[in-house]
Amino acid sequence: MTAPIASAPLLCIRDLHKSYGEHIKVLQGLNIEMKPGERVVVIGPSGGGKSTLLRVVMGLEQIQAGSVSLGGKPYIDARGRKTVIDTELRRKIGMVFQHYTLFPHLSIMENLVLAPRKVNAESRASATERGRKILDRFGLAAKADAYPSQLSGGQKQRVAIARALMLDPQLMLFDEVTSALDPELVAEVEAVILQLAEQGMPMMMVTHDMWFARNVASRVIFCAGGVVVEDGPPEQVLGHPREERTREFINRVFHIKT
Amino acid sequence: MDYILDLGAVTRNMDQLWQGLGVTLLLTLAANAIGIVAGFGLALLVLNRLAIIRIPAMLFVEFFRCTPALIQIVWFFYCVPMLFNVFLDPITMGILALGLNLTAFNAEAYRAAIQGVPREHLDAGIALGLSPAQRILNIVLPQALRNSVPVLLTNGIGIFQQSALVAIVGVADLMYQGKTLATETYRPIETFTVVALIYLAISFPVSQFVGWLERRRGYAVR
Repeated sequence: MTAPIASAPLLCIRDLHKSYGEHIKVLQGLNIEMKPGERVVVIGPSGGGKSTLLRVVMGLEQIQAGSVSLGGKPYIDARGRKTVIDTELRRKIGMVFQHYTLFPHLSIMENLVLAPRKVNAESRASATERGRKILDRFGLAAKADAYPSQLSGGQKQRVAIARALMLDPQLMLFDEVTSALDPELVAEVEAVILQLAEQGMPMMMVTHDMWFARNVASRVIFCAGGVVVEDGPPEQVLGHPREERTREFINRVFHIKT
Repeated sequence: MDYILDLGAVTRNMDQLWQGLGVTLLLTLAANAIGIVAGFGLALLVLNRLAIIRIPAMLFVEFFRCTPALIQIVWFFYCVPMLFNVFLDPITMGILALGLNLTAFNAEAYRAAIQGVPREHLDAGIALGLSPAQRILNIVLPQALRNSVPVLLTNGIGIFQQSALVAIVGVADLMYQGKTLATETYRPIETFTVVALIYLAISFPVSQFVGWLERRRGYAVR
């Protein structure tokens, strides 16, 4: 008994083809439909196209074929040799990267208010007010006037998440956001993502942390060779994979001897 | 050796050296004004996507980087008046020659600093919805300008030293005045030592300042 509007896909990725040069084919006809409220974790061997998929969805890459729609409206479309991107729609997607991308010449608060002020012409007072609330929520209120160089890696990633949230995204993308962190800093970043998950923020993420994937995902997609190999709830894909390739991968990353 | 040092021959004529230093500083500051502004414009040309703009700009840079500064100055003084029928006073010619040389070197400093801004920062700028102009203005330029400061200062103080070359074409700078004084007083050791110390006294603090800036920047990046 779901209303039609709720079952309409939030994100619809159709027949995505992406290659670097002539020979390196990263995505080869990839299809994913994501419903509102879903938290999709993409796993798979390196070189399988996981990060490229997220970069394409963010509109950072040229594609050779396919399209991506948000809320039923296509915003990335391969037309001939050109990739047409609707930048208005793209803005509704937020992304956090593996490497720290805080702008080093701006304070934490300036990092947060830059895009709302420049892109949405929000007043400094209003943006700062919202920024304070988000920093407070993430336990970073004391760092508002600090510079990125004065923060730990975990704090930087939390600020990067806060910065993306300043634009009220309809979908968040996390591309291996804990891979560059020291092990003891991973938990604080994952806690912030879990907090967002509990609030119902739709998200798609790439991670190598299978335990975190199991905790946060409502759905797990195993990607290899540029296509979706297996797609299902975390209990299935991570626990009892149906596909042989998934099983091999899961066994390897969980260090289970067969 | 029965040469007896007599600094008095120099200290009695310091006015002449100060006059020369004034000219040297004028050459340095004016050449830096040209180099800092025009170097940035040239860097943008070097980074241009269009080959018809990029290639001449690169040739300009390479010409100045791959020929001795002495040749550049001599060429400027003798060939420009003959080729273009323009006759400027020696100081202006010196400023232009040194300024163009510095423009080429500073363009390289700016180019490296612009390309040194991490790609991920630009991706983050796209993800935040910033337009290409906003990304350049708010992300690339502030970082690039900051990162280029130590090299610009090093190049600038380099031009202060290189400016001694204009003495050869008769610009009355510190080097020229020193040479004149050494000839007049028959005291080359004292004169050239004092002249060298004057160059050192100005270059050294600047190079120390650059070192301090770089250490601080290294700390900031970590």
